[in-house]
This record gives sequence, structure tokens and C-alpha cells, in this order.
Amino acid sequence: MSLFTLLRVALRLLRRNKLRSALTVLGIVIGVAAVIAMVALGRGAQSNVASQIASLGANLILVLPGATQTAGVKGAQGSSSNLTRGDIAALGREVPTISAVAPTNRVSGQIVYGDANWSTSIFGSTPAYFDVRQWKVARGATFGDGEELTAAKVCVLGQTVADNLFGDQDPIGQTVRARNVPLRVIGVLEPKGQSVMGNDQDDTVLVPLATLQQRMIGGSRETVGTALVAATGPDTIDAAMADMRAVLRQRHHLQPDDDDDFSLRNMQDIAKANAEVADVLTVLLGAVAGVSLLVGGIGVMNIMLVSVTERTREIGIRMSVGARSRDILLQFLVEAVALSTLGGALGIGIGAIAASVLQRTTGWPTLFDPQTAAVAVAVSASIGVFFGFYPARTASRLDPVEALRHE
Amino acid sequence: MANDVQHAAMPPASVPVIRTVALARAFALGGQVVRALGGVSLQIERGAFVAIVGASGSGKSTFMNLLGLLDHPTGGQLFVDGVDASHLDRDARARIRGAKVGFVFQGFNLLDRTSALENVELPMMYAGVGRAQRRTRAVAALQAMGLGDRLEHVPSQLSGGQQQRVAIARALVNRPSLLLADEPTGNLDSATTREVLALFVQLAVEQGITVILVTHEHDVAAVAQRVVEFRDGVVVHDGLPPPEWQPVVQAPWHAGRVA
Ligand SMILES: Nc1ncnc2c1ncn2[C@@H]1O[C@H](COP(=O)(O)OP(=O)(O)OP(=O)(O)O)[C@@H](O)[C@H]1O
Ligand SMILES: [Mg+2]
Repeated sequence: MSLFTLLRVALRLLRRNKLRSALTVLGIVIGVAAVIAMVALGRGAQSNVASQIASLGANLILVLPGATQTAGVKGAQGSSSNLTRGDIAALGREVPTISAVAPTNRVSGQIVYGDANWSTSIFGSTPAYFDVRQWKVARGATFGDGEELTAAKVCVLGQTVADNLFGDQDPIGQTVRARNVPLRVIGVLEPKGQSVMGNDQDDTVLVPLATLQQRMIGGSRETVGTALVAATGPDTIDAAMADMRAVLRQRHHLQPDDDDDFSLRNMQDIAKANAEVADVLTVLLGAVAGVSLLVGGIGVMNIMLVSVTERTREIGIRMSVGARSRDILLQFLVEAVALSTLGGALGIGIGAIAASVLQRTTGWPTLFDPQTAAVAVAVSASIGVFFGFYPARTASRLDPVEALRHE
Repeated sequence: MANDVQHAAMPPASVPVIRTVALARAFALGGQVVRALGGVSLQIERGAFVAIVGASGSGKSTFMNLLGLLDHPTGGQLFVDGVDASHLDRDARARIRGAKVGFVFQGFNLLDRTSALENVELPMMYAGVGRAQRRTRAVAALQAMGLGDRLEHVPSQLSGGQQQRVAIARALVNRPSLLLADEPTGNLDSATTREVLALFVQLAVEQGITVILVTHEHDVAAVAQRVVEFRDGVVVHDGLPPPEWQPVVQAPWHAGRVA
């Protein structure tokens, strides 16, 4: 008998027993729905991390002053830093796998506009900062080399700062005060949302590095805090880091057995660690849901076994008119597979709906991808084969005479 | 006619449809052996109409199941159309059964909740006949049984006689050389019994189909050309029906006999 005929016969038999078929597939429906919803949740978390990585700026490497293991200089900022603008310039010059370098200095302070004020981080950096972080302005402009050279009294606001100081008003062209320095707002940055670490990246103000160093903090004009470096691509991050280390060690006159007096951090590694957590979450959620799918499969097997017993006479009749073992085996197998695939398809629909309801009610990001759906259908079909095989084989091995006599 | 074509592919008429040599079937029942059939040797010619009689439990059904390859012998030999079928595996038996044997049972054995048409199509499905041809042949077979207006009826919507005619249509649709009927009229009233037997006679005479039927009734057995009597798993009588048995329907071979 052709597979198509088998399928038609199977579907007709299933239609004939609607209620039982429905109850049989219920387990599969629930199992697949659970898998789809849980994986959508996990995938949502993953894509969240992925977009965080993107918001960080691609291929970002941080250069931090002071070796992390050296007590006393840890977290050094501004004047206490041992990184100089010269070091940073050398990196840009000597490491071929670097596309942009942005030295930064950071102070925290109050930004005042009229009677409104807001505490935030004030970053000083070069125009390269916007490239390295792949951060554009939503309105206005960024500062350029000219403003940097002249230590111009201008600033670019993060979205959060702009919202809190100006509300609906247009900040461009207005003057705010930070550390008693009047700064003209020339731009507002695009919102970036939360960082990998979970803090608000838009709660920031950017000024030219020279402005920060010369007008807002005393001390050396040469030292910088953290430098942000963009590697030319994801593949060159490791090479860039090795070269950067060599350049900095040389410039800092370190002997081969000296520890680094700086540290390099690949932000993508941190992001990747987070992504791994999301992966594990996905797998765990999927596994828990998979167990319910397994239970659904056992349900199918149970009903198929009952069905074989109930239909013993039918099997005998089929054998008496020439059905071979294989024909009977396939018939029951096709029935089981049709049932569980049907259940799988229904489960996908319900799972997708459940995921979107979950997202709407809890705010957790979810992501439904067709790949998971395809896998779910394939898995439920395999469950049909796996759990349908034993009953089908039982049916195919019945003795024709006994089966015909059965009542 | 279609059966001419079919006969061309068959072994010569001299080869008996059925030949058994000390055919035996024993069942192991909880350590004890039941000898349902204790060595039956006989031969049945093409186009013959044979009745098998005997007391309940004498082994008639066991014998029929062996002839129809539903069951396998535990001793002796069975030749179907001259081919040794004693030691075939399940699938080989299923193939021959589907191609050469049609069964008619006392309990009809139709698939319930399945239309007459689909029931008759069933043997062709397993024989690999295409969908369109299946339909055409099933309709023709049912029409030949006078059921042209009952194609979509399911068994529960049919009378006993009609159900048995559906079963006969199903048994014949693959054009078997052997029709095995185990008490086919056991559940039928006398009018329907006559109808069914007249049909069997017609099949044997006009289409050369070999009919073997099991019955408890003398007037049914008397329709046959030959009566084989079983007792305790062996043949105790084989020959013409006793003259005192009155056949329910007449057959051509009755002509020469003394009524
Ligand atoms: N599967 C089996 N296991 C054990 N014994 C069996 C089996 N099938 C048949 N028998 C035995 O074989 C003997 C012959 O049975 P069979 O069914 O052939 O009788 P029968 O002549 O057809 O009787 P009836 O006229 O009642 O149909 C009986 O004694 C029966 O109990
Ligand atoms: Mg019997």
C-alpha cells in the first residue's frame, strides 16, 4: 500500500474517533506548546543579550589603567592613572588590527539646567568615541576634532539626561552647567538602553576630552582613564589585544617578569558569558518542557496499545485479505505519526500564543523562531514513530487466525 | 471474459488447486498438545465445489485456515496450485492469500463503520491496485452481487444477506482461484442461504473458481459435487453427497443423479 493511501486511511480512522484522537494528542499538544513557549522565552533572553552586545559597539576592547591585581591603583581615574594620551596614540599607530581608539576620562557630577538638576557620569573623550561605540546622535551633532583641540564648552547629552533636564523641550542650543562650567548642548544621543551589566547607558553626558581635563578637573592633561578600542573585526580581537599588550608593556618599560600595569578587557567576552547564561536558560527551559512532551508520547503509546487490542479483529480481517505484517505495522505507525504531528502543529500554535501572552503580561522578551517550530514538528513526528512502534509491531505480529476469532 | 485472461497465467488445469499430504496441525495448550488435524491427505481439482462437514471441533475450520494460508501446518505438506506452501513465512503466505484466496466467514467479518465499497476495495489495496481501478472493480463486484445501490452503506445499515454478499464481493474482487467459505450461511435465513449458494454454484460453473465450503447443514452440503467428512481431525468419508440429502439449490452436476 502506498504511503499516501496509508495516510488517507489513517486520517479517516482518526476522524472517526474524534474524541479519542483529541485526547490522545492533548499530551503532545501541551508538550510541544510548553517547549515552544519556553524556548521562545530563552531565545528572547538570548536576543536581548545579542542586542546588548551590538549596543556596546562591535569588537570593543577596554584598556584600563593599573593592573587589576595590583592593590592601590585599582580603578584608578584621572590623575592617578598611568595611561597617557601618548600610550593611546601609540596603540592607534602601531596596532594594525585596531580601527579606532578613544581615550576617556570620567567624572561624576551634577548637570544643572534652570532649576532642574541631574546627577550623572560625565565622560570626556575624542570624536572617535562615537565610532568606537557606534553611537549616533538622535538630534544635533557630535563634537569634532576642532572642539576637542580648543577644549570647546560643548556637550552631547544621553537620552536619559536630556529627558530629565528638558522634558519635552528641545535641548539643542541650550546651556547647561556641569561642575560650574557652562556647556552648550550640541546633540542628543540615540537611546541605547541597558548595558550588559544592566546599567542605563543613556544616563551620561559627553564632552570633549580636553574640555574635561582642562576645565572640569585639575591635574595632568596627559593621563587618561579608560581607553575604548575597536578592533577591525571580531576575528582580530585576540590579535589586537596581544599587540596592544606588547605596545603598552614596551612604552611602560616593563621587564619580561614584571606584571602588566594595565589591563585589557574584551567586552564581548563578558557579553558572551551572559549569552551563555541565556543559552543554559534556553536549554533548561526546553528540557523541562521536553519532559512533558515525553509524557505526551507515552500517552500516544498507551492509546495506540489500547487501539491495537480493540482493533484486533480489524487486523485479522486485513490480514485475511492479504495484508502483510509490514502493511499493518505501517498502518499503525502512520496513525501514531499523524496523531503526534497533528498534536505538534497544534502545540506550536498554542505555544506561540502562550509566549506572546507571557511577553505582554510579564514584559519578558520572547522570540518565536520558525526553526524551533520545525524542530518541534520533527520531534513530535519522531515521538509518533518511537512510541507508535511498539504498538504497531504488536499489531503486525498478531496471529491472523487468533485475531479473526477475537471479540 | 476476464477469467480467460486470468487462467492463462495459471498452472495447467491438470494441477490440482489444493493437494495435501498428511497435513497436520497441533496446538500446544499449557503443556498439553491438541491435535486439531491429524494427517489429512486429499486433492481438490480446479473448479470443484466441495463441502466439508463434521461435528463441532472435528477440525474443519483448522483445515480451512491451513488451506487459506492463514495458519501454518505443524506436519505434512500443502500444495496450492502445485506450489509447496507448507513452510512459507508469514509474508509469503499473506501474498499468496491476497492473490489466490477469497474468504467468506459465518460472521461476515466486514470492517464496521466502513462502507461496502471500501470493504471491497480492501484486498486490492494490499495487492497494490491503483485507486481508480480499485474503485471501478469494487463497484463492478458489488453490482454483480446486486448491491449497486448500497455502495456507501456501512455494515450496520445492511441486512445479514447483504453483508454476506459484500463479503463475497470482497472475496472475489482479486479474482482468486480458491473461495473458502466457513459456514457462510450459518447466520442466514433459508431464502438468503439459497441465494448465496446459487451464487457459489454460478462461480464454480461459469468462472471455474474452486469453492470449498464448511457447513453443518445437509441440504447445503448436498449442493456440492463432493462431500468430505471430518471426525477428530481426520477424514472419515470423501465422496458424493448421500442421495437422501436434498440440495437447497440445483447445480449442473446434479443432473445425472437419482433424485
Ligand atoms: N488456537 C487453538 N488452540 C488450541 N486448540 C485449538 C485452537 N484452534 C482450534 N483448536 C482445537 O482444535 C479442534 C478443532 O477446532 P476447529 O475450530 O477446527 O473445529 P470445527 O470443526 O471448525 O468446529 P465448529 O464446527 O464448531 O466450527 C478443537 O478441538 C479446538 O478446540
Ligand atoms: Mg469451525
